Amino acid sequence: MESASVAVGQAEPHEHHGPPEAHQSSRIDRQTLGILLFIVTEAMLFGAFFASYFFLRVVSNEGPWPPEGFELPVAVAGVNTAILISSSFTVHWALEATRKGNRRGMQMGLMTTWLLGSTFLFIQINEYIHIGFSGRDGAFGSIFYGLTGLHGAHVLVGLLLLSFANIRAWRGHFGPKAKDHLGVEVPGIYWHFVDVMWIIVFTVVYIL
Amino acid sequence: MAVAIKQPGLARGALGFIVGSAFGFGLVVALRAISGLEIFQTEQTGYPHLVVPAITGPLGFLVGLGAFDYWFRWAAGRPTIPEDHSQHGAKSWRDYFKFNTDHKVIGIQYIVTTFFFFLVGGLIAMLIRAELAQPGTQIVDPGVYNGLFSTHAAIMIFVFVIPVFAGIANYVLPLMIGAPDMAFPRLNALSFWMLPIAGILFLSSFLVPGGAFDAGWTGYAPLSTGAPLGQSFFNLGVQFAGASSVATALNFLVTIVTMRAPGMTFWRMPLLVWANLSTSLLVVAATPFIAGVQFMVLFDRVLHTNFFQAAFGGDVLSYQHIFWFYSHPAVYIMMLPGFGIISEVISTHARKPIFGYRLMALALIGIVVLSYTVWAHHMFVSGMFAWLRVPMMITTLLIAVPTGIKIFSWLATLFNSVLHLRSTAMLFALGFVTTFTIGGISGVMLGMVPIDIHVSDTYFIVAHIHFVLFGGSVFTIFAGIYHWFPKMTGRMYDEKLGRVHFYLTLVGMLGTFIPMHWVGMEGMPRRVADYAAQFGDWNLMISISSFLLGIAQLVFLYNMIVSWKWGPRATANPWRAKTIEWQVSSPPPIFNFDEIPRVVGGPYEFGVPGARHAIMGGEEAEVRKPEPAVVGAAGGGGGGSPGERGGP
Amino acid sequence: MLALTVVGSVVLVQFDWFGDAASEEAPPIDTLFDVMVVLSTFVFSIVMVMFGYAIWKFRARPGDESDGAPIHGNTKLEIAWTVIPTIIVLFGAGYSWIVLDDIEARADDAMPLKVTAQQFKWTFEYPEADGLRSDELHVPVDRQLDVQLEALDVVHSFWVPEWRIKRDLVPAGEGGDEIDDEFVVTPNEEGTFSLVCTELCGLGHTTMRATVVVESQEEFDQWLDDQAQAEAGAGGGSSAAGGT
Repeated sequence: MESASVAVGQAEPHEHHGPPEAHQSSRIDRQTLGILLFIVTEAMLFGAFFASYFFLRVVSNEGPWPPEGFELPVAVAGVNTAILISSSFTVHWALEATRKGNRRGMQMGLMTTWLLGSTFLFIQINEYIHIGFSGRDGAFGSIFYGLTGLHGAHVLVGLLLLSFANIRAWRGHFGPKAKDHLGVEVPGIYWHFVDVMWIIVFTVVYIL
Repeated sequence: MAVAIKQPGLARGALGFIVGSAFGFGLVVALRAISGLEIFQTEQTGYPHLVVPAITGPLGFLVGLGAFDYWFRWAAGRPTIPEDHSQHGAKSWRDYFKFNTDHKVIGIQYIVTTFFFFLVGGLIAMLIRAELAQPGTQIVDPGVYNGLFSTHAAIMIFVFVIPVFAGIANYVLPLMIGAPDMAFPRLNALSFWMLPIAGILFLSSFLVPGGAFDAGWTGYAPLSTGAPLGQSFFNLGVQFAGASSVATALNFLVTIVTMRAPGMTFWRMPLLVWANLSTSLLVVAATPFIAGVQFMVLFDRVLHTNFFQAAFGGDVLSYQHIFWFYSHPAVYIMMLPGFGIISEVISTHARKPIFGYRLMALALIGIVVLSYTVWAHHMFVSGMFAWLRVPMMITTLLIAVPTGIKIFSWLATLFNSVLHLRSTAMLFALGFVTTFTIGGISGVMLGMVPIDIHVSDTYFIVAHIHFVLFGGSVFTIFAGIYHWFPKMTGRMYDEKLGRVHFYLTLVGMLGTFIPMHWVGMEGMPRRVADYAAQFGDWNLMISISSFLLGIAQLVFLYNMIVSWKWGPRATANPWRAKTIEWQVSSPPPIFNFDEIPRVVGGPYEFGVPGARHAIMGGEEAEVRKPEPAVVGAAGGGGGGSPGERGGP
Repeated sequence: MLALTVVGSVVLVQFDWFGDAASEEAPPIDTLFDVMVVLSTFVFSIVMVMFGYAIWKFRARPGDESDGAPIHGNTKLEIAWTVIPTIIVLFGAGYSWIVLDDIEARADDAMPLKVTAQQFKWTFEYPEADGLRSDELHVPVDRQLDVQLEALDVVHSFWVPEWRIKRDLVPAGEGGDEIDDEFVVTPNEEGTFSLVCTELCGLGHTTMRATVVVESQEEFDQWLDDQAQAEAGAGGGSSAAGGT
């Protein structure tokens, strides 16, 4: 997204010429490294909430977990998990299609991913409505909403990034060259992170 | 006026702020009306109709300012316009109030903004010391006092020390590694503009019902979860400052990894670059923890969740664990960039290579790794798991080893050197070595559980953190500002005033913080507006010294402002340093380089005949008619060019 | 340098850092501190003497624009100042551990004492005296106290400077046995001391103090009797004992 600022502009007859092109001192390009570091940060944010989960469940809780009176719809969430995981494959498909220059495949892949992600979020919100307890109901309610809500917010951000990719895909951007499909690849990496994070959240909150 | 509103800038930013706040306010009112709740909830931990606008308003400001214009265009799929660099460089002072993507402009914006907050925080400190000059309460009541020391610490930590290092590095680092700009210039500008938002949120908490946040900068739950509205402003301010600092760190890391000049291997990077590399690693991985924990506090306050409410199954100590898991590394986030600055300054003014360069770099990495394993030493008396204390004590004491390596290496660098004391930067660097050694030693004592049991939460702690944060970080900041002032402004500062500033600061600092050790050990707790009469004499002396310290900073301010405007012109390389930023003009050209330089050797090859660090673009072609300002310093490994003057 | 270390240490150790000591836990801590002062003076002297010498000896003469000697390092020296400080701090850690075990050793005849903190008030309860409560802490001299802590609202901290011992009082829920809310201390000097709250707890933090009276066993028993009578006289616990 950012490369434009340094790459273009040399040719312009300006009062000053543009900056020299930076020397590429590593094999990894900026956008990819940037998103990977951002994912590290995001993972640590989840880490803070998992730390809280650990303290609430293991350290200061006696008795069953979830406490009596709380029940989680594991089956529905399981189906939802499957939906989200499948969207990881579709986004990968979109990237492969882009690499091969298959525009139709890229557009369909991105669109499917977006729809699957939205379905996940919709089911998640539906689950909140019918789950029967709120974030105010004891520490369990707080951390349940804390972890799943944090993840939901990440799904939302992921969907936003995918929307941009979708719009640009339909408007004829992106191409098979490495530089031209970063706009698919970078949201894709983020989306994989969101999926992996959900598997962890699902395992910890619903199953363990 | 209409034009001003349409153009990205402060006017449109103000409009964005109003629209954003109104949107947030309307959202809360509408949602509460729909759900049939009381529309204005004014329990002291509530006020959603003020807390939500405090989030959406600043975001609206950023949109209005133009922070997202490019990204919006990109997201909408419109063709990206070729970069015309209109957001690059500053031609007049007005350009510093715009969304500017030039790392040099951003660096100046950072430094000036953070020093503004430094003065505000300093004034608050003066108020605190005025209150503490005598036993009893004279000037402010205890409630206001709690707000004062909390805002003092929050401002100094989150919007002065941490970001000012980001500002200095923003200016210097891309030049040092031979990059035309940072990796993500727009993100860089966005990180800067989140900073004044954080500072203003902290300060505006004085105006809300219940007064400024008063649970200390640590904001321990459940005191913070039950505190008045101001605490929410602290929670939000930390989010903005944290987001800013994460974005900058990410930017630094990507810049350092992917944009170094050809030939600049990791082992040829100046130590300032190493220092920022390690700091950024800390920021990226640790800062989310404070973001997370402040979110939890905010949820407990506004949404009435139970993360820290013991009566409902919450865990009080988890706050401290998560908080310190960030806030101990934060201590190093506030120190490591300073280490880098000191290495640059000492090597340059001692005209000698840094002693044990590789070990210096490794020590930085060692501190990064260790600093994740020591958080619970802040909790020796907190009633946490007793078994965790001894392991944490051992790791804490071990972290003194890499720190000691750095001190000893600087000392060894001074031996057989040609030591120039004419620059105030060098004075602050040498002063730093002294005061930081004291702070380090008291830190080792604090790391020992039995001593810590006695002195934790007393003035001994206050003394220690000011020795490492003022005698440590702030001294390095001054060293850095003096060192790169000619580069940033193209002017020389007044060394005489600089020396006055240094000696007053040193005396004021020692007079203020040394006696705090004693009053702490003899029984004066921290964070109190009043104290037992027996500590009266010492406190009076501390207060007087602190006023001296305050006055000293006015000298600095005067010197900086006057020199920036009227100081004598600086040459490209007044200190005859080797690193790349000194091989370009002062101030540097708008795009830093015509051609990316080529690095051919280590950064501190003083006294090595014929050695050089970098060959500047175009230099090889013109080698027969060298420009004195550039080549004389870069090439003159042996003798330097005699005509150069080191300072005014 | 050695001389400076000796002089510095002697001066600094003579210095009355802590004020009075009034518990059996205090001397080991004070000794540990003194040892650290000597070690620190040693390290600090080395640094400062080297530092002063370097500045004096290698200061550039006016007009001298040459460079220093191109010395890049010395592996042996670097190993030395990595290994020696490691040994010193590990010694410090071991010593501290020993002291920690020492001051936390429990006696069999310890007197249980329950301390409750709330904004902004201390309450002391004596389980051995049928749960008698008081706002003022009276304890017998030379007998170990087994202190149980409880906080009702926010985090507070119990500190009697002369006893050297400090511990936070943390609000805990029903399942909260994870908090280490128990410590021991053995007062060994009679006198009146001040208990201060050292963890910021709100508006009244500054003034959240209590009087501590350490007295002989006889005086203490007498005091307990007086309190019990006063309580009985007032009809069950609302007067001097004031267990609100």
